[in-house]
Amino acid sequence: MKRWALLLVALVGSLSLGLWGLAAARIEPVTVLMPAPFAVATRDLVSAFNRSHPHIALSVTRGPMETEAVSDLAISSLLLGNSPYDLLLMDVSWTPKYAAAGWLEPLDPWLGPNALADLAPGAELGNAFDGQLWRFPLLADVGLLYWRTDLMEAPPRTPAELIAISHSLQRDGRVAWGYVWQGRQYEGLSCVFLELLHGFGGEWLQDKEPQLDSPAALAAARWMDDLVRTGITPAAVANMGEPETLRVFEAGDAAFMRNWPYAWAELNKPDSPLRGKVAFTTMVSEAGHPHAATQGSWGFSLLAGSKHKAAAMEVLRFLTSADAQKQLNLRWGYTPTRLSVFEDPELLAANPALEDLQEALAAAVLRPLSPVYAQLSDLLYRELNTVITGDRPAPTAMRQLQSNSERLLRSSGGPR
Amino acid sequence: MRWRLWLLMAPALALLLATFAAPLGHYLWLSTQAQSVLTALKPQPIGVEQWLRLFNDGRFWQDTWQTLRFSAASVSVEMLLGLAVALLLDQPLRGRALLRTISLLPWALPTTVMALGWRWIFNDPYGPINRLLSGLGLAAIPFLSAPSITWIAAVGADAWKTTPFVALLLLAGLQTIPADLYEAAALEGATPWQTLRRITLPLLTPYLLIALLFRLAQALGVFDLIQVLTGGGPAGSTESLALYAYLNAMRFLDFGYSATVMLGSFAILLLLCGMAALAWRWSLRWQGGLR
Repeated sequence: MKRWALLLVALVGSLSLGLWGLAAARIEPVTVLMPAPFAVATRDLVSAFNRSHPHIALSVTRGPMETEAVSDLAISSLLLGNSPYDLLLMDVSWTPKYAAAGWLEPLDPWLGPNALADLAPGAELGNAFDGQLWRFPLLADVGLLYWRTDLMEAPPRTPAELIAISHSLQRDGRVAWGYVWQGRQYEGLSCVFLELLHGFGGEWLQDKEPQLDSPAALAAARWMDDLVRTGITPAAVANMGEPETLRVFEAGDAAFMRNWPYAWAELNKPDSPLRGKVAFTTMVSEAGHPHAATQGSWGFSLLAGSKHKAAAMEVLRFLTSADAQKQLNLRWGYTPTRLSVFEDPELLAANPALEDLQEALAAAVLRPLSPVYAQLSDLLYRELNTVITGDRPAPTAMRQLQSNSERLLRSSGGPR
Repeated sequence: MRWRLWLLMAPALALLLATFAAPLGHYLWLSTQAQSVLTALKPQPIGVEQWLRLFNDGRFWQDTWQTLRFSAASVSVEMLLGLAVALLLDQPLRGRALLRTISLLPWALPTTVMALGWRWIFNDPYGPINRLLSGLGLAAIPFLSAPSITWIAAVGADAWKTTPFVALLLLAGLQTIPADLYEAAALEGATPWQTLRRITLPLLTPYLLIALLFRLAQALGVFDLIQVLTGGGPAGSTESLALYAYLNAMRFLDFGYSATVMLGSFAILLLLCGMAALAWRWSLRWQGGLR
């Protein structure tokens, strides 16, 4: 009898030991979808994570290059109801749409109420919507005004100054054009306009009501129109995205350019003709109004359908940590979101522009947080593009835009 | 005996139903629902509201006109050029095999790649065409930034890519025409023009029709070329119906309306095809009456 009991104990013991071991050895797969450039930049971090976390197998799916193509890929998989991804690296303008569609898991229970405490001013914007946190930012992106240090002493601070400097440089034949920016019918045009709108003292939405026929909005649209009509901006701007703009500026054909921080790294490459001849600042504005910088950060969201949420959150914490952001800045020049990284003396020594970027980030303005933002923006850039091509006068276009935006928000019950 | 026929056709019919009728039925149902980001993607019945919205949507009608304009222009150009290329490649030239291969290359390129290429070719001011013009002291052409020009640029890029496809179909057709017909015509002293009009074109008609059908179907659903080349701009002047439906579904997450846009354009196409078929029948009757 005793022997039987001993055997039973041994059996139960070894069995439970084996099961416990099996559970411990179970490796949790976590998959993250990122746009191609970020997937490349985080490769070292991902292998470091996999080394230090043997119970999680992290893999990164390399998405397309273009922002909206990444969203298309993510949405296609989410619509099928069984997305292979656990985390998504999201653009700031997608968050309310994805949250309203029910695809995201709120992060507050995982990260606590002080999750955003360490973020630099400006980087905390656009992560929460409807009272919940949906995204944690990895990299900050802001719109900047690039200017040529070899052509002028100081950058313009008002729209009138920018026009005056451009005129005199063009008259003297030192540049073909004054100012290039993104005027193509796409999201980039909305980003450019938002900065001007704030610079002229306006707002896109106020108390959930569009303000696009306000005097400030009209002044901003008129200013864009004038830039093209007076030849400070080439008419070709109506089809210029970021790469085309950078090309004109890099060729030395323009005195000013509006672009994102990635252009800074491009312009300072060893073979760049403008190396050391460029600086950046925030967008011009009328006296008394802010120099605004459209915020375009990227951050991680947890998908509601993920079966490995705890492991995925561990990945999120690791990849957005101060250490990871520091590496991404040192190696790839990406702008961090954590205040502690901005103030890191080693980084500041290696990348002196970081201080200016932090300042620009503090001037960040956000595109409206609304589940129907994509429609709002589509109305805006379509109508503005007709102003830029000269097909419609600014006042007509802005009145039309205002009534279309009102109708959209009315029929959709307003941004929640 | 009848039932056996149906039995044999059953697999094909089932396939057709599953791939054609079922999605169409689903779209019809979807067009009576509000299913968007604002309903948390859950369908809610709203009757004919989406159809009223479509009817009053100026953008839908503008895109319809632009899609038809693009299709008519690009398909006409491609048919004419394709015929010319096919006639040329049918001639006994030296190095004909090489020529045929080269002329097919544009068709082999993925549309997105070729559209990106054309975007740089049309670039103002650094594209090769505008460089050449500025070298000659001429003003740059705003290929992609002027609504009155951009749609023609898009037609040009489309013609570049798909003319080889038409040429290939027509070349196959040309090779089915017996050589003795041409010999007989030559003996009778027919001019090349008469030979073309009386022998080549009539015998090529079925192939011309097939090419026309394929090209029209593709052009009316144009999406990738426009999306990459212009994104629908400038000033919305190149947006096609397919692009509008895509925007509604994938960007705006408004599936009910996207389905309505698709069905609306489908209905317009059906109407056009019906009218074309009627016109065809009448023209045949008219010709018959003449004889």
